[in-house]
Amino acid sequence: MTQHLRLAALAFAASLSINTHAQNAPAPNDAQIAAIVVTANQVDVDAGKLADGKTRSKAVKAFAQQMVTDHTGVNKMAVDLVTKLKVKPQDNPTAKGLQKGGDDNLAKLRTLDGAAFDKAYVDHEVAYHVAVLDALDKVLIPSASNAELKALLVKVRPAIDAHLQHAKHLQAELGASGS
Amino acid sequence: MLRQAVLAAALSAFAPAAWCETHTVVIENMRFQPAALTVKRGDRVVWVNRDVVPHTATAAPSFDSAAIAPGASWGITLKKPGRHEVVCTMHPMMKSSLVVK
Repeated sequence: MTQHLRLAALAFAASLSINTHAQNAPAPNDAQIAAIVVTANQVDVDAGKLADGKTRSKAVKAFAQQMVTDHTGVNKMAVDLVTKLKVKPQDNPTAKGLQKGGDDNLAKLRTLDGAAFDKAYVDHEVAYHVAVLDALDKVLIPSASNAELKALLVKVRPAIDAHLQHAKHLQAELGASGS
Repeated sequence: MLRQAVLAAALSAFAPAAWCETHTVVIENMRFQPAALTVKRGDRVVWVNRDVVPHTATAAPSFDSAAIAPGASWGITLKKPGRHEVVCTMHPMMKSSLVVK
């Protein structure tokens, strides 16, 4: 089961990277980037809310609450900016892929409990943040044409990186105590 | 000469206030900058959050800013000498040190 989830998480990460930087995929425009950013944040807020309610681990709960706070904050900034810029988020395959990945993750997490839940949630958080960093570096930041949108993406990057380090730290702790 | 003396007298009247400085710690890129700060007793330290996410400046049990929203700041006047480890309770990997002499 665990192996299955790990594979699913990797497949999700891979699907994001394939969607976003396939050689022949056109670079997203600002309206598409806005939709990708909002969706990416929202799926992690949703997973965090589920984990906050379900986990029995203090460390996982604190991490989940941090994800909800931070990704909600980033989303508010992103929405405020695109509203100011009069950019209407435009749905696209990357945003759809992220939404599907998020929905699949929630569906799987709902079937799990206890240590299996914690491990699946944290494993997915690691894969998700790796994928988001990759997308920021290779697609979103280079493709953003509006300077303020690009600056916001650059500012978001250290937070995503810190989340990844935190998630990896948790993953190592769960691995050490869970087996 | 006389003018200078008057000026010096005027400045010395304000000297106690001038001795107490305000130091700024910028929170940006998920870091406290500077990561180590030494201040004098009576100085004020202000944390300015330039990140896109909320942070705290917390040195339990001495002080706790609670959440500082992006773009907001929080400050405290430090009256007792001591050494504090200042962390962000939301992002436990964010650490800094503050020495009050």
